[in-house]
Amino acid sequence: MTSFLTAFFSGTAQGAIYALVSLGLVLVWRGAGVVNFAQMGQAMFTTYIASQMIQNNYSYWTAFVVALICGAALGALVDLGLMRPLTSRKNSKLLNSQSMRTTIPVIASLGILGVLKSLAGIFWAGEERGFPSPVAPNAIKIGETNLAITGFDLFVIGAVFITLVLTTIFFTKTGMGLAMRASALNPEVTRLSGIKVGSVRTLGWAISGTASSLAGLLVTPRTNLSPNTLDLLLIVGFTAAVVGGLSSLMGSVLGGFILGYVISFVNVYSAPENVFIAILVFLLLALFIRPQGILGSKEVRRV
Amino acid sequence: MSKGIKPVRLKYTVIGRRSTLLSIALFILFILLSNQFDAYNQSQLANIATLLIAVFSITLLTGASGQISLGQGAIMAVGGYGSALLVTRLGLSMWLAFILAIFISALFGLFLGLAAARLSGPYLAGTTLVMALAIPSIAVRFESFFSGDVGLSVDYGVPPTWLSNLVGEISIEQWSLYVVLPFTAIALFAVLNLSNTRTGRTWRAVRDNEVSAALSGINIARTKVIVFVCASGLAGLAGALYGFRGLVAPSVYPTDLSLTLLTAAVIGGLRSIGGAIFGTFVIVFLPDIIEKITANIEIPETIGNYLPSLTIGILLLLTVILNPRGAAGALEHARHRRKH
Amino acid sequence: MLAISNLVTEFDSVKALDGISFQAKPGLITTVIGANGAGKSTLLRTISGLEKPSSGSIKWQDQELTSMSVESIVRSGIAQVPEGHAVISQLSVAENIELGGLFRRRSFRGDLAVATKEVYELFPILYERRNEAAGSLSGGERQMLAISRALVSRPKLLLLDEPSLGLAPMISAQIISIVNNLCRATGLTVLLVEQNANTALAVADHGILLALGKVVADLPAKELSADSSLRAAYLGY
Repeated sequence: MTSFLTAFFSGTAQGAIYALVSLGLVLVWRGAGVVNFAQMGQAMFTTYIASQMIQNNYSYWTAFVVALICGAALGALVDLGLMRPLTSRKNSKLLNSQSMRTTIPVIASLGILGVLKSLAGIFWAGEERGFPSPVAPNAIKIGETNLAITGFDLFVIGAVFITLVLTTIFFTKTGMGLAMRASALNPEVTRLSGIKVGSVRTLGWAISGTASSLAGLLVTPRTNLSPNTLDLLLIVGFTAAVVGGLSSLMGSVLGGFILGYVISFVNVYSAPENVFIAILVFLLLALFIRPQGILGSKEVRRV
Repeated sequence: MSKGIKPVRLKYTVIGRRSTLLSIALFILFILLSNQFDAYNQSQLANIATLLIAVFSITLLTGASGQISLGQGAIMAVGGYGSALLVTRLGLSMWLAFILAIFISALFGLFLGLAAARLSGPYLAGTTLVMALAIPSIAVRFESFFSGDVGLSVDYGVPPTWLSNLVGEISIEQWSLYVVLPFTAIALFAVLNLSNTRTGRTWRAVRDNEVSAALSGINIARTKVIVFVCASGLAGLAGALYGFRGLVAPSVYPTDLSLTLLTAAVIGGLRSIGGAIFGTFVIVFLPDIIEKITANIEIPETIGNYLPSLTIGILLLLTVILNPRGAAGALEHARHRRKH
Repeated sequence: MLAISNLVTEFDSVKALDGISFQAKPGLITTVIGANGAGKSTLLRTISGLEKPSSGSIKWQDQELTSMSVESIVRSGIAQVPEGHAVISQLSVAENIELGGLFRRRSFRGDLAVATKEVYELFPILYERRNEAAGSLSGGERQMLAISRALVSRPKLLLLDEPSLGLAPMISAQIISIVNNLCRATGLTVLLVEQNANTALAVADHGILLALGKVVADLPAKELSADSSLRAAYLGY
């Protein structure tokens, strides 16, 4: 029973982080038709910025906020500096090819990932370093009994919960949220409604950058920080996004939690070295059984 | 009727002759180069000849059929483990193991292709990336069979005496090049011919527009699977040759290997075989060149360690921004301009 | 006043519009008719900025539109209802309408509420179904929604691309008459593209006949509909 609860709570906390990563991926995929493989590279970079600030005696929360802002800026920069010129280029023989139009941005995002990793290595040396958390990672006690959940888990779950609520309000209650949904669904009608689809898209990149930056801040107290630490998070997040249906924001969050439980239960009941294989099997199963994802709509992947 | 057929036939023989000549030329070029090189650079040259086969697999997969794989390194691992197990467990000859590695990884590619045929663009990229991570960990999971992190020790052995008698003393490095090079030449021959035949044209049609390809009667799913099988066979062969440098282990086929291969193909030009050769030279020799340049400049070690990956990342970005068709595309463009 | 002169729009060097010139007078309905492939839709798409012309000019209230982006053209008071009842089917009816006025939200918040109310009065069925997904609407209702989305931005020029396409004659007549009344009541300028020449010419003040990207007739609607030789030559009846 204890191990079940441990797996459940740690799965919820991990799943919350995966949900953020997956949400970030889906935001950009829906808005710009790009799967951003550099996403967690951006998060790694902003987490290093936070780490540097904490070393320079700034408070955790100052560093936290600065990292989120940098995440937004970096996301917007990637769109403005690279993706927008790349996808709007006309008269390119290569980009006239259907498959290349999706392939080239993927390659570009890999280039950014490589550059960000190398820069992080140059600026902050390659070795692993710890990253603080504002809450002690001890199990919560009621009287003398240890609960299966730690204070840090609660912090992670709380932070993600707040983010998800804010995101939901943004998308369903604000005009900008409506504009963002509309431009993802039908850019032409949205432009004809006088909305600057390009700017909306850049905002999507910025929100995605913020979400993944938060994921970086939440995961590194457990995994430590190095240029490569967050690679795994990207892969799990991608799997979660596919499981949820790349086109659905709700689905991506759901997929994140499902992956959290899968990984956590494999860790507790099987062995940690089985985790990658579990992810691969899960991904392939998801693709074969329900390629449109749990909440994805079928028409999106018709061709 | 015969009038219509004749020029086609003529073209085929020309292509066949051209690709034969080019493959032989590549073979001779590498031999000549290796005679000018020291032992270290000879082994680098053998690396190039090996990785070139893997980069060709990307030229086929991404350049000719538009499917993107971030997991070619994992397929190399399949070929590597396959051949190493055949040699260490069953005592097969190395040469036979290399050839069987092609079939093992092609079979693997068949399964992968069946999944991939349902996927496009970023789905495929992500799935193959997950695979690149998961496959090496299978070696750890089934440790008793695959020897876990330690890996399987295999090597090219020693050069046969008849060859030494023929060309004189052969160093280990030269021998590794001699083993790899015939395979590279055959791979080049195969890729050159494939891209110029009806099959190649079918692949390009699928790449450029799936709907119109389907309307012209091309079976999209089958075409994609066939491409995957061919590309996997090539990658598996490269993986086998790569492993026999000394060790077949998860650390030999990391995720970065897959990305490096893709980088080579992109920098050179995804659609060009010459570009693949150029790109492979760049990624193998770039770290050495950077080291030489920075040898006289005082830079901290931390920066030096990351300069090659930084340069490669920047090269990749510049290629995508300035000319997505890579060095080969740039060359063609320049030639085109001079004509006008 | 919308003044178009020598407009050329090409697709891969095929001229879809080949030197078009005409004017649409304010407060009137000008209809553009012609057979399939005459360039009618391309004309509207070029005016709204979705296609970039290779030469020529489009003047709207002394502004040159050809160099402006789609968004700024819309913001200058030109709303297009694209072909095929273009609404965003995954969004609700109310959201589709809200979308049309979104860019005016900051400066015209009060007026936006009025405009939304007017649109619902024009098409009461949309108010009844305002919380349903636009995808669940019938063809006619979708067309009403597409027009509402355009109207809520309070355009001075409305570009309608084949509003009757795929609709039952009764419903398309109803929609066109609503647009007609609106134009007469508010002084809205309308550019109506139609393949169904009879319906269009019945309400229009002025008619432009296009054939293969060229203007072949530029006449008052009554004269155009009376000219049987033109109709026989270019519309086939």
